[in-house]
Amino acid sequence: MSNQRQASSASQVPHLSPAELSYLYTSLSLPKNPIRPDGRSPTQFRPLSAETTILPGTNGSARIGFADGTQAIVGVKAEVEKTVLAADTLDSRSLAQHGDALNREGEEGSAAVSGQGEWVQMSIEIPGYRDDDALPIFLGEMMRESLVGSVENKEEMAGGLKARLVINKRWHWRLYIDVLLLSQPLSYPLPLLSLTTHLALLSTKLPKLKSTGEEDPFFDDDWAAAEYLYPRSKPSSGPFHPVRPPVTILVVSVGENIIFDPNREEISVADAVLAISITRSHDSDALKLLSIRSIDPPSRLTQSGIPNSENVNMIGSTPAENPSQEEVSGVWRPRRGGVKRSVVARMIKTVLGKGGVGEEVLEGLEGVEVH
Amino acid sequence: MASTAASAPAVPSLNLPPSQFARLQPHAYLLAHLSPPSASTQPSVRANGRAASQFRVTSANAGSLTHTNGSAVVRIGDTAAVCGVRAELLHTADIASWSVSNASDEEADSATQKGASQNADDDRNQVQDLHLLVPNLSLSTGCAPGLTPGAPPSTLAQSLSHEILSLLHTTNLVKADDLRIWYQPPNLESEEFRNAAEGMEVDSEQNGGPEPEIKAFWVLYIDIMIISWAGNAFDAAWSSVLAALRDTKLPKAWWDADNETILCSDDIADARKLSLRGLPISSSFCSFEADAAAGWRAVVIPSPEELKSQGQKEGSQQRWILADPDGYEEGLCEERALIVVDNEDGKTVILKMDKLGGWGMDSDDLRQLVDVSAERWQEMKQILDQC
Amino acid sequence: MADRRRINGPPGGTRPPVYASLQESTTGAAQRAQRQRQPAELRKIFLQTGMIPTASGSSYLEFEPSASLAAARANPKSLIPPSSALKVACTVHGPKPLPRSAAFSPNLVLTTHVKYAPFAARKRRGHIRDASERDLGVHLETALRGAIIAERWPKSGLEITLTIIEAEDDRWWGDAPDSHDASWGLMNVLAGCITAASAAIADAHIDCLDLVSGGVAALVSDESNSASSIPRLMLDVDPAEHRSILSACVVAYMPARDEITEIWLKGDSSRAALEKGDDRSSHEALIDGAVDAARGANTVLSEAVRESITRSIAQA
Repeated sequence: MSNQRQASSASQVPHLSPAELSYLYTSLSLPKNPIRPDGRSPTQFRPLSAETTILPGTNGSARIGFADGTQAIVGVKAEVEKTVLAADTLDSRSLAQHGDALNREGEEGSAAVSGQGEWVQMSIEIPGYRDDDALPIFLGEMMRESLVGSVENKEEMAGGLKARLVINKRWHWRLYIDVLLLSQPLSYPLPLLSLTTHLALLSTKLPKLKSTGEEDPFFDDDWAAAEYLYPRSKPSSGPFHPVRPPVTILVVSVGENIIFDPNREEISVADAVLAISITRSHDSDALKLLSIRSIDPPSRLTQSGIPNSENVNMIGSTPAENPSQEEVSGVWRPRRGGVKRSVVARMIKTVLGKGGVGEEVLEGLEGVEVH
Repeated sequence: MASTAASAPAVPSLNLPPSQFARLQPHAYLLAHLSPPSASTQPSVRANGRAASQFRVTSANAGSLTHTNGSAVVRIGDTAAVCGVRAELLHTADIASWSVSNASDEEADSATQKGASQNADDDRNQVQDLHLLVPNLSLSTGCAPGLTPGAPPSTLAQSLSHEILSLLHTTNLVKADDLRIWYQPPNLESEEFRNAAEGMEVDSEQNGGPEPEIKAFWVLYIDIMIISWAGNAFDAAWSSVLAALRDTKLPKAWWDADNETILCSDDIADARKLSLRGLPISSSFCSFEADAAAGWRAVVIPSPEELKSQGQKEGSQQRWILADPDGYEEGLCEERALIVVDNEDGKTVILKMDKLGGWGMDSDDLRQLVDVSAERWQEMKQILDQC
Repeated sequence: MADRRRINGPPGGTRPPVYASLQESTTGAAQRAQRQRQPAELRKIFLQTGMIPTASGSSYLEFEPSASLAAARANPKSLIPPSSALKVACTVHGPKPLPRSAAFSPNLVLTTHVKYAPFAARKRRGHIRDASERDLGVHLETALRGAIIAERWPKSGLEITLTIIEAEDDRWWGDAPDSHDASWGLMNVLAGCITAASAAIADAHIDCLDLVSGGVAALVSDESNSASSIPRLMLDVDPAEHRSILSACVVAYMPARDEITEIWLKGDSSRAALEKGDDRSSHEALIDGAVDAARGANTVLSEAVRESITRSIAQA
């Protein structure tokens, strides 16, 4: 129970000895070029295999597997639902609008109807966790927040995902995103889940609407005619920037270094862990920041090492009266305190900058063939 | 060896500071306070410095929460309760049995002139049957060390909630008519439609127009958070409920036939306060036994005479009835009493009397407690009137 | 299924009242609340420690009501409050031994628990914690764990409970829920929770690196046509006072070390207009703004902690 509680924010407490932690920290914090246990460069991601549209019963689905054997499957289902007005608002204007809408049926409403964030539902299942444990809820909120928050002003996706779900004034789509982690979370599962969700949403198709205006909706039953949730029509002119769902990237700082896509060992010595959600900006090539959340680094929960000078088992040393709280080089101490603002700024910059990690990730994902 | 022992007669001091003595020997500590040695002139006081029938300093503050129809914070010593009353609408269309029971209800309504007591009974039935009062008390606010937050309500919290609910019902505090939202259907056939629409009930009946009908009820969600718990949670919770209900304003509401829904006016001038029946004030007591294990040793229930003679024989008081026990005293007492009184035209009325956990308190004691409660009523009335 | 351990309302369910005044839309009630403070001016904070004697440490925090709310309280006209002001009670229990069943921990095990009172917000909250309350708990835990020196209490637990008696609004009540439906009020609540919990932890005499306090900054646009207007950076925003909030950031900040233990930023911050000569990017400005707000809260916090220490010395 307490193990789970501790593991609430970050993944499990690492089972590394203080000496191992100290070794890992030293090699990762080497100035300029950190040495990662698996030999990757600081910005390099782990190799992964991906496929989409694997579940025939869903509107969209994807599977991603990391080389270490962790796998995630995401299925997206869409349902038509009646838009409830004035349910949770004290405002009766919407009531009046509702009436108006009924009266002027068929008339093209000029007022843009923007959707509601509640229409996107996300559930995350991680083996070993209950669905009301902190980790699945934290991850779910984090991914949902950037998903419904990304407002694109591009024509085919005006208002973002929320608005895309509006069918007409009285009907809307409800999106159920079910995320399944198939294996025990070896590392913090956020990047895996976020990438899989991204691909699943890209492959999501909604049946083509046949009714018009404010009628009760009915749809084309030809699946071939279905439209993608994230439209992919190529504009006649200008560079092609498809609208894409956001991606959440995990970044850690160790000493002066900034390291991406940390594995389980690396994250356990991190000074700070940030989850940064990005998406492509609508009007330029640049990337847009959607959200940042700090994640509790598991290094705060580790056991500290004992310097030789204080170790009673060492020959010729006497236990110090007051164990020093000073840092002894080479002896592991759980991380304390927070992160400097300058470090946060550098982490964001490495993600967002031109030719930065964010672009690399998005390009990599664009390379995945989506059926 | 012996010489060293003799030369160092450093007997460790056995004097404990009072705070530690209180923790180690709570019963003896309280007993020592209540029965000072007869030689000394010290009066018998409780460990917290109060006399046996003295209540803690009480303060109340109403109407400070923004999102409530009525709210109150009551502090009794270190025990603090926050109560918020939220009113929501229950449409009669949402009541499953409404259309069935409707007819009989209207009969009861027409019988309102029969007498006040009859009226009160009808009120109670409707308030109770339709669940129009929904009190819930929460202790999982970290108010005391033993209670884990996030857990489902403990047995204590459940029993306190139910006690408040039953007291709300038995005292008939809230009038059902305050919670009803009436609608006078327009008399379309009658030429005097305008007069009828003005809500002149008598007129419309004379004209043979449609009877007014109840379209909805207000449901009062009464939520009590015990923020700090230092004994006697019930008195604090009940006074906060009372103060919050006295503060509660319900907006004017009417049936809007066009939208087929209830609309409310947000104008504060249209809103009206609840008119409560009386002012029931609760007082809790507990009985402290000089012999801590008395309850365990007694095999046969002793007769009151026996007990009395026992007390006289030993010449010292065996039992103290403490008003408004704090957390420390509650832990030492088994027998409790709860008395709810009201005052009607200067006459004390007992609304509820509850005694459990032992056989120490007899009828004389209870008679005295009613007098103490009546004094408490005066005190609380002043506090509640000022808030 | 109905919750049998609580008293449930009518089985058919109830509906919140719908006010008719907006159909006329001419009454004074429909007037939008306006921010009266300067962009960098913070609301006053009332913070007191040691109000709950049964807990090892406790605190109570209250934000100053906004100008519109204060006016509405002084001269009530409408039943609909224009905005609301945060009220939080916090208790700390511990350090106490972990239960026997718990695994060994070399550090202090922190548990945070955030719960809204059912009457805290405009919409009645349930009795069981929902996702946003659990989410708040995780944020708070991250913020506090960075400040507490946890290895001084091995095998012990610390329980922090926050009861939100009154929450902040997510938007102006008259706006439809979809206009900017992110829960911006949650960020103010988190900032208040961080400051309150920090005071309660200090009141419980738990060793910390520094007093950690919370602050919020946001990019808001007040023009009715949000597409053309230029968003401005404001500190300590009350969402009810603004037409739309584009992006907001809350930080937990320790001034002595100039470090952030928790950061939560969301929304589109790309269109902010900063002062001339300011070459920071907008998210940096947002973080800096939140830090400034946290610094402001810290002065109140240290004053409250000083009172707590004076009181405990007087008692000893």
